[in-house]
Amino acid sequence: MMEYSNEYLRGLVRDDRVNRAIYTDPLIFELEMQRIFSRVWIYVGHESQIPKPGDFHCTTIARQPVVMSRDADAVVHVLFNRCGHRGARVLNHECGNAKLFTCMYHGWTFKPNGELAGVPMRRDFPDAALGKPRAAMASLPRVESYRGFVFASLNPEVQPLLEYLDEARRGIDELADRSPEGEIELWAGCHRYHYNGNWKLQFENMADMYHPAATHASTVGADGRQFSRRTGERGGSAPFFAPNGEAIVAQTGVRGLRNGHSSEASLFREEQAGGVWDEYRALMVKRYGEQRAAEILRNRRHSMTIFPSVDVLIAQTSVRVIRPVAVDRTEVLVYPVRLKGAPEQISTDVVRFVNLTHAAAALIQSDDLEAFERSQQGLAAGGSKWILVARGFGQEVDEGNGVLFGDRSSEVGQRAQHYAWRDLISAA
Amino acid sequence: MASSVKVAAKAGRAVQPKPSLTDLQRFVEHEVRLLDEQRFEEWLDLFADDGIYWVPAKAGQESPRNHVSLFYDDKPTLKIRIQRLRHPAIHSQNPRSQTVRLVSNFRLERPAQDPSLYLVLSKFIMFEDRPDHERRLFAGHYSHTLRATSDSFEIALKRVDLTNCDQTFSALTQPF
Repeated sequence: MMEYSNEYLRGLVRDDRVNRAIYTDPLIFELEMQRIFSRVWIYVGHESQIPKPGDFHCTTIARQPVVMSRDADAVVHVLFNRCGHRGARVLNHECGNAKLFTCMYHGWTFKPNGELAGVPMRRDFPDAALGKPRAAMASLPRVESYRGFVFASLNPEVQPLLEYLDEARRGIDELADRSPEGEIELWAGCHRYHYNGNWKLQFENMADMYHPAATHASTVGADGRQFSRRTGERGGSAPFFAPNGEAIVAQTGVRGLRNGHSSEASLFREEQAGGVWDEYRALMVKRYGEQRAAEILRNRRHSMTIFPSVDVLIAQTSVRVIRPVAVDRTEVLVYPVRLKGAPEQISTDVVRFVNLTHAAAALIQSDDLEAFERSQQGLAAGGSKWILVARGFGQEVDEGNGVLFGDRSSEVGQRAQHYAWRDLISAA
Repeated sequence: MASSVKVAAKAGRAVQPKPSLTDLQRFVEHEVRLLDEQRFEEWLDLFADDGIYWVPAKAGQESPRNHVSLFYDDKPTLKIRIQRLRHPAIHSQNPRSQTVRLVSNFRLERPAQDPSLYLVLSKFIMFEDRPDHERRLFAGHYSHTLRATSDSFEIALKRVDLTNCDQTFSALTQPF
């Protein structure tokens, strides 16, 4: 296999531009799996997806099949989804419940904590061959969670999760704090979509407030308002264009954070109100007090994008997971969130609106998918090695704690992603 | 079309000649032909004011409220969807898709609780072709809950159960 020098890899990302090879080169994709997805914290799932002992939820990290499970003592594990005998994938459904995880090939069974439970015709194996932990479903080297968000890492030396999340934990806090109990649940399944394009195209899009005027023009009605993205007699639909003709969303600010995370300011300046929202507000005030409740309900952040695997959608009250499949293929899953303790209708309305915003058939997402595929096609073209991430470059405001703020749909969030990518990919 | 069927606008007001399965079948065939021919506004007009277009994302899904759906549109939402399909800047339809639907294996059930409703079950296959894209093939079950009107039917609920409803999709722009 051809190898790239770390110097070459580092040079693929400049201050205000990136080399198109980072989207199109299959060798770079393989390096990303080794040096990024196998090295940092990757989101696995939310604890609410496995509430009972024996519950499991399968996903991948760096394309490797893994399973998040809850053992008899209610402890959450993340295991390689692989039989300790001949290596077959053990759990073949995305989620479910089982006292023992049974391999279909030779019938070996494992406890939900990964320990070997049973081996048919066991006495024909030498004892040493079945010794722990060799024959178990192995645990991932590191597993930690924050407010129910479970992350795992293939890297035993990875820094503590909270240190990695750094300022991005505030995005998780903002979403979870919107529950009158301070807890969220993933409860309504997920949307799944894929596109023929590199994973970074979706990732950058989540920090891109510049694109909606062009990409999503078809979602704006004759009255100049976008269709309602969320409920509420007030604070639901929003005008799309400012008096000067610019898209309002493109006038909002973006933050680039340490470790490649990013966040966009909220599109909504009004609290949702009316009907069930008034009942919800009263519950929030009861729990947090008027001042803190008003602060939470103001909705500061549209979303918090946690490099390189998950997007916490605060305004749309959902969680989006990005799974790289190949250099030009990406799968995305979007889970609507239930705010525990909030009136049921708040959560059922979220389900309804996520259908319209972040699904394969969504009025918004379908045009983003078109943009990702056309980007992948266009990036195959020569002419220049570089594409620009220059918007707002040099005008960022340092807010401290590694936070750079860029007004007017600055590409500061995408730059934060690329700089983190550069530091990881070029470190041997 | 079932235009020859003479039924009262609302149940219980008059003796209703019972529409035949053929009348209902023709209505469904007309409905999907409007989609094939991209006559979206006429298609929308077939829906009752309280009509629903639903494509579940889970086999046997019982409710659109506690689980995501591929589509769950009331009539005002369907109208927005169709306006967008006509919008010159709908990039995911530039160029446009062409579709054809084959619908077959019709069966009629009469929901006991409401005599003005007819439940028409059928199976379908839909091809979607878009320049520079691989041909897409969808298949599944249609369940049309139809309400008799003075001269035809209106759609109270069109439910589409795709055989691959719980799988991953590239962008979906065409109603099934």
